This record gives sequence, structure tokens and C-alpha cells, in this order.
Amino acid sequence: MTINQYDTIIIGAGHNGLVAAAYLAKQGKKVLVLERRAIVGGSVVTESFGEGFTVDSVFAGGSLRPDIVKDLKLPLPKSASTSPTAPLSAKPAFISLQPDGNHLTIDAESIKRISEKDAARFPEFVRFMDKAASILDTAYATIMPRLPMNFGIREGYGLLELGLELRLAGRKDMLNFIRALPMTAQELLDEYFESDVVKAAIASVGIHGFTLGPMGAGTGYTLIHNWMNRGGLSHVNVGKAGEITQALANAVKSFGGEIRTEIEVKSIKVESQIAKGVILANGEEISANQILSSADPKHTLLQLVGAQDLPPEFVWHTQSIKMRGSVAKIHLLTDGKHGIPEGTLAVAPSIKYLERAYDAAKYGEISEKPYLEVTTSGNVVSIHFQFAPYALKKSSWQIEGLKVEKLAIDTLAAYFPNLKSSIVNRKLISPLDLEQTYGLTEGDLNHGQLMLDQFLFMRPIPGWSNHKTPIDNLYLCGSGVHGGGGVSGAAGRNAAKSLK
Amino acid sequence: MTSNQYDAIIIGGGHNGLVAGAYLARAGKKVVVLERRHIAGGAAVTEEIFPGYKFTEFSYVVSLLRPEIIRDLELPKHGLKILPLPSTVTPMENGDYLGAWDDHDLTRREIYRHSPKDAEAYDEYARVMARAAKAIKPIINLIPPDPSSMSVRDLMGLLKVGQYAASLSEKELYAVAKLATQSSADLLEEWFEFDALKGTKAASGIIGTFLGPRSPGTAYVLLHHYMGEIDGAFRAWGFAKNGSGGVSGSILNAAKALGVEVRLNASVKQVIVKNGRAVGVALENGDELTSKVVMSAADPKRTFLQFVEGKHFPDDFVTALQNFRTRGSSGKVNIALSELPNFTALPFKDKGHDSALHRGAVSISPSIDYIERAYDDAKYGQISKRPYLDMIFPSMIDPDMAPPGQHVMSCFVQYAPYDLEGGWNDAKRDELGEAVISTIEQYAPNIRKAIVGMQVISPKDIEAIAGITGGNIFHGELLLHQIFFLRPTPQWADFRTPLKGYYFGASGAHPGGGVMGAAGMLAAKEILKDGM
Repeated sequence: MTINQYDTIIIGAGHNGLVAAAYLAKQGKKVLVLERRAIVGGSVVTESFGEGFTVDSVFAGGSLRPDIVKDLKLPLPKSASTSPTAPLSAKPAFISLQPDGNHLTIDAESIKRISEKDAARFPEFVRFMDKAASILDTAYATIMPRLPMNFGIREGYGLLELGLELRLAGRKDMLNFIRALPMTAQELLDEYFESDVVKAAIASVGIHGFTLGPMGAGTGYTLIHNWMNRGGLSHVNVGKAGEITQALANAVKSFGGEIRTEIEVKSIKVESQIAKGVILANGEEISANQILSSADPKHTLLQLVGAQDLPPEFVWHTQSIKMRGSVAKIHLLTDGKHGIPEGTLAVAPSIKYLERAYDAAKYGEISEKPYLEVTTSGNVVSIHFQFAPYALKKSSWQIEGLKVEKLAIDTLAAYFPNLKSSIVNRKLISPLDLEQTYGLTEGDLNHGQLMLDQFLFMRPIPGWSNHKTPIDNLYLCGSGVHGGGGVSGAAGRNAAKSLK
Repeated sequence: MTSNQYDAIIIGGGHNGLVAGAYLARAGKKVVVLERRHIAGGAAVTEEIFPGYKFTEFSYVVSLLRPEIIRDLELPKHGLKILPLPSTVTPMENGDYLGAWDDHDLTRREIYRHSPKDAEAYDEYARVMARAAKAIKPIINLIPPDPSSMSVRDLMGLLKVGQYAASLSEKELYAVAKLATQSSADLLEEWFEFDALKGTKAASGIIGTFLGPRSPGTAYVLLHHYMGEIDGAFRAWGFAKNGSGGVSGSILNAAKALGVEVRLNASVKQVIVKNGRAVGVALENGDELTSKVVMSAADPKRTFLQFVEGKHFPDDFVTALQNFRTRGSSGKVNIALSELPNFTALPFKDKGHDSALHRGAVSISPSIDYIERAYDDAKYGQISKRPYLDMIFPSMIDPDMAPPGQHVMSCFVQYAPYDLEGGWNDAKRDELGEAVISTIEQYAPNIRKAIVGMQVISPKDIEAIAGITGGNIFHGELLLHQIFFLRPTPQWADFRTPLKGYYFGASGAHPGGGVMGAAGMLAAKEILKDGM
């Protein structure tokens, strides 16, 4: 019998892959991380697109679960870990740009100018959202066993803890949390606020990164999810996403793990339903006792494994995973005279505006009046553009790239007239680029839409939320599994913990 | 003189109120049912709108009525007769059609004609849906427990739900979980490719709901409509003899036979509260009736925000009821016809003046996108320019509905938003009627000249006539956050209310709308459990 050089091979050096690798290496496992690109980080990465043009290419900033930072002793500033309960006032501003040229900062003080009533309700809303985010956070940290009967004491204990957390939230918050998940963001916000401006600004966070409108059921859940991920409304650590993944990569190495970049995995070697190793694009084979994939589930199962080695029904379910990216990123290098304030800015003037922007995506079209979220780091302005669907019905991304770039700049320049003349360089990342360069199937930032039918024990597909696959020794540890979505690292942590 | 002293007063003589009354009377209680209108039946009534032409004004088909109610109350003995609706035909924009017939092989062959792949998938889809509908059926008769409560009753209830979940196979559990959360478009796109098939199936997921087929949660509504049962034949739709009024008429007869007193033109002004307990009701005409318990079969908003003064309820409860969603999304257009519409897709036979489709339903649902665009209009406060229609021709099934040689046609139309921009008025009602006629005209060009009379019912009219706040046909949308232990509001889903002696048993309670009768039956049973 041959002895494998590695205990575990991890496919993909995104934040979840690195988190899983670091935990396993820390346990003394011999770990090898394989990354297709020259740079680690996946979609949590800071890259250079030219001199002075350094930017968080995909996720604007980011923050990990505090327990991961602690467990792995990551030398990260405190702000790099999300704590939903940190006071909102301590965070960067979240500003909604108004059609009349005004800017509304979403905090109780500024809301007062629009509505006294809304300002009075704001603290209660923040309190509920923080509570809901912390319940969701606990849910994400709990490995979802296979339901209904197929779990032992270890998994049952996790569920018990989750149930306890729910109960401890108090009757009212518990029931309101359950109620909020399937609601629309609009309905949820209607219960707190009267001003459409305030509601729209907050609702935009609920649809950020998802192919849903604020009138769509389930955006209550995505609002809580993004609230949790961002620790409130605004992004933190803009311009520093790469620091997180660099710190993780260093941790992997310090625990004795190995990371190889520019190594593309072509397929996973499967014999008799057991994963034996990986086959690289250059033809080389590396064997290991366990394979963890942090690539998205569709790519992992349909491309790297292949339908021939999987049960037909499982293949059908995998094909049905809803991955529907509709985000484009437009990064601008400016001479600094753009006139855009620091913080997170949203072009989200009304609920109907956001919903109409989403309507376009339903029919495979680009929003003519898009929802934008803008983050600025020094001279660099990054625009998150929604909706720019991956699957265009009447055109292709080879043709539409310039249009989206122009739409984004024109929309933002309407608020900041100096923007256009200050642009020095630009970089578009279309949904197709997200797939081809960053390996996100269909450009889906979260490896699968966060919808209630792809939630908890149904993520990525019903029955397979415990990181396992029908192939023995092959596990999923990326954003597409329960715990994933966003930059928390929970999926990678859970995967590592679920391995015996 | 009749005494005004009762064991139980039921507010509202719709089917749920009558069912509850009948069950209470069956247990030996002295019961009065108070109906605001001059006829009983609520939204399940049949009225002669134009001389000689009878319409079931609102609800128009039957299938969800619980079989145990039919049995317990011996409804067939009291006049319930259900005539099957044998088909659903979807005319297509290209002049072809998709037919679903009561013969399985015929339907399969018909789907095969359009898409062999879909015909393959159809059988398996039907099996999965039937299994899922069967799997959730026991939930209909469960009293929803409050998961945040520590009371013995709720904990026992939770245990029952747990036992039920554990009784499902893994496959069933996941099928139910997915159906409860996904959109009907996502569900159907996993299975089928043919637009008219997906559109027609998706339509079941939006009926009575202010959501489009691409909205998550609509697969649940679709499943809700899958739970129909006629004579034990699962998943069957029928038409009652004498329309839906025939259904409530039979329940009315049964209730009366059991000794229930039914007072018509008896509009309730307020529930009388003494020492923190409901002890009777005051009518608009000044009469006062007293009783040991009061049950409301009106919609949740009337039940809790109108009939009872706010001071008798906790503030949170009132807020929750204010937040309860009752956005009406559908209307009805009832048309008296000199001849049947002649659909180009399936024209009149050589000699007769009907074709295979007139005995069943005709659905205008050519694709998911068609319905979704209809929804897009509505969500911004407009009447759908090209609405989804579900049409039946009651006079073809029950000739008594129209004068000899003439016909009546019932068009369920969606979307007609309750909160229409600019509000509802006669001009808007005409606009809705015109949207319906011009839509039908595309498929049956003779419709316009065949019209003898036309009644357009907007959600505002449903509210005004049937007394349902918001005009929502389910007394409140079947949204995930408004079902089971959240219907009508958390902690009060077990038919009881924060006011002692006051109960709630209508479509706005678990298990929700459709002419089902379950809420009335379950509420009556809970009342009896509490003793009176």
C-alpha cells in the first residue's frame, strides 16, 4: 500500500479553503492547498491593476468570524472580525445618495431630518437586527446534520445549542426572527419605518449580491445575512480584503501547511466512489487521504468529479442549484478629485427603483437604472453594479461590458460631477470575468443564491449540508455549503471541524 | 320571542362560520350564526345577477373542502353535489393549445406532442407532488403549537409536529421543505421546458397571492392547491351543483338541521366584553345577544381590530394584526353570454356550439414570463395589461345556471391590486373588464359580441360585498410568515385569542383559505375542549 504524502488536499485558496487548511494544519495534518491563480484569496483579494491602482477586486473589504481570528491567532486588526453587536456608530458611515443631490447618512441623528418617527424607531431596529444577526451567526456555526433521523449525539448537541440560542433570544425576538426570514425586506422595514428613502437604503443591503428585489420573499433573510456579514450596514476594511487572506495563508504555512499557486486542478480522481487524489491540468497526479474542495458545488461536483461518478438524482439536484450572479464590479482609479466621501454609498433612492432594477434581471437584461454601492479607498473608487445578469437573454458579455461600465459611471457622475474628469484608469469585472477569472460559476458571489430553499440543511442541496458528498473522502468547504455566503469563514471552519 | 341567550355566537355566515356552528350544535350547544348580508355563504354564494343568469360571484370551484366535514355533517344528504371539471385547456399565443384531460394517458400524449422530455418528466413530477401533498396533509388538522411557549399544551403540540416530521422519509421531508420555500418558477424549471405547461402549473402558485411565479414561497401556494380531494380522488377539482352557493347551502342546511339558528341581516357592531371576557355581541340594529363564547369567522382585521376595542388586547398583538398582510390581488369578471366563446385553438365542432374545452377550465397562462409580467404591473399599483385568467362555463356543467341556449362564464382574473394607484372607481373597473375581454378576444374573437351582461368585481368589491378586508380571497395571504404557527399571528395560532371567551376560526387562521372549512371545524373542536 502506498502512503500518501498528504493527509488533505484543499482545492482553492479562497478564504474558506485557507480557513479549513489552517484548522487542519493546526491539528497536525499534512495539508496541501492548490490555487489556480498566482495570488491567494479567491474572491477575498486585494489586487493591482496598474500603478497606484490597488483594489479589493470582488468583495469590498471583509471580516472573519472572531473565533476564527482567535483560534488561528491571526494578526488582524479588531475591525477585521465581525461582531454584530459592536455599536453602529463605531463603524464607517452608510450613505444613501438622494436624487435631489443630498446625501442621507443612515443613523438616528440624520434620519431625524426626514422623519422623527423613523429616527425614534431606528435604535429598536438596530437592536433587533443585531440580535437576529447573532442568531443567524450561531446557525451558521452549527454544522447541519442530515435530517431527519440521521444524526448522532455530536450533531444533535449542535442543534440543541442552536435551539437554546433561539429560546434565549426571548419569545418575541425568537418569533420575530423566524417571521423575518421569509418576509420581503420591504415588509420587514414597513414594520419599523415610514420613509421610503430610509427603507430603500436599508433594503439595498438586503439585495446586495443577490438576484432578488426588495419586494421578493426571502429578502428579510438576506438582509439579516448581510447585516451579520458586514456587522451592520456599511462595509468595513475597504481596500484591505487581501490582508485577511494573506494572514490566513501565513497561518497555514506557520502550522506547517503547504500552498501552491498557479496549479489548476483538472479533476478529482475517483475510484469505486472514493476520492483518491487530484489530477492537475499539467497531467500530474497528487494523492491524499482526503480532498476538500472550496470551489463552488457545481464546479466541484459536475466538473471536477463529473456526472458519471455520481447518482443520477444527486446530479439533477446539483444541476438545479440556483447560481445566478448579477453583479458587475467597476473599479476606477482617479486623480483623487472625485468628490466622493468615505464610507459606503448606495444609489438606492426608493424601494420601487430597486425592484425595477431587479425586474430587468428576471428577463435576462441589464438594469437601465441600476442599484449601485460605492466604496472608496483613497484614489480608488469601486462600484458594485446590480443588476447585470450572467445569463443575458439577448446579448453576451463580450458585447455588454462597455455598456455596463458607462451606465455605472454615468449614474454615479450624476451625483458627483467631478468624477468623470478625475478618472485615470478603469477596470471592469463582469459576471463572466467572475466566472472565468475568479472561478465563480455563473458569477455567483456566494457559490449559490442565499434563498430559503438553499438554506440550513438544504445548502448546497437537501441532505448534503454536512460537508459530505456521495464520494467518500471528498468534502465541500466553500461558500456553497451551509455556513457559507459572504466572508465569515464559517463554512471552512465547520468543514474542518466536521472531519474526524 | 326568541331568547338572546346562547352557548355560542358565531360572527359571519360564511362556510367556516357555518361549519363551526354545525360542529358546536352537534355537541349539543345552542348556537346562533350572525350573517351581515341577506344570504348566508360569505364568499361562497350563488346569486342571480342578470335575470335568468346565476353566478357564483366569488369562489367558483370546489376541491379543498375537507372530506371529514362532508362526512361528519352528511353534506350530500343536505344537497351537496359535486360535478367534476374534466379538463384544463391553455390556448397558446401561436394558435395551438395545451390540454390537460381527466384521462392520464391522453394528457401525457398531449404533453408529448409539445415536448417528449416534459412528457417523460410529467409522471415523476405528479408522483412527487402527490407524495408531498399527502405528506403535509396531516398538518391541516394539527393545532399549531407556539414554539416559544413552555406550556404543556404547546410542548405536546411541538412533540406532535416532531413526531410527524420523523414519520416522513428523508425524501418526503426535503420535498416538503423545498416546496415550502422555493418559487413555483424555480420548481417547474427544474422539471419542464415547455412554456405553456410551466405557465399553467405556475398559475396555481399565485392564486390569491400578491406574488409573481418567480417569488419564493409560491411553490407552497401551488402545493396548497394540490391538496384537493373529491370523493377520495386526490387532486381533483369540481364544480358544485348550483355553484359555490351549493356548497355553503348544503352546510347551511346541515347546520340548521342540527339546530343552529342563522340570523340574516344581522351585522355585528361590537363584541361585548365584561371582566376581561367576551360575553356577547351588540348588533348594528341595537340588539344585544349574550353567550358563553363568541367565535369570529370574519377576517383577522375585522375580528381583532374592528369588533373588539383595542384596549382589550396587548399592544404587540394589535401591531401584529395591523402588520398582517391582506393585499387582495385578484378580481372576478362574471359574464352572461348569448353564445360560448369560440376559441381558435379548439373551435366549435361542426354542428354544435361547444368544443371539448368548454366543459372544463380555460387558462390564459401561456408562459411563466407572461404571468410574471402581469405581476410586474400589479406590484407598481397597476391592473395587469395582460392578466392571468382562469375561466369556467358553469352553464355547461349545470344548465340551471343560465336560460336555455344561453351561458354564463366565470373569469377569475389576476392581478387586480387592491391598492390600485389612484384607487378603485367605475373607470378602473371598466379598465379591468376591458383587460379581460381584450385578452380573451385574442384567443376567442367572438367574445365581445356574445356578451349579454358583465359584472366586474374588484378586490374593493370583494371587501365591500363579502366583507373581507383587503379583498384577499384567503382572508390574508398564504405567505410563509403567515402560515401555521404564525397565522394569523405568533402565539395565537391555536384559534384562541388574548381575550378570554373569544375565538377565531376562519380562513385567516390555520390552515388557510380555499373553501376548505378546516379552520371552522378545528376552532369548534378547540372551543369544546376548553369547555363552556
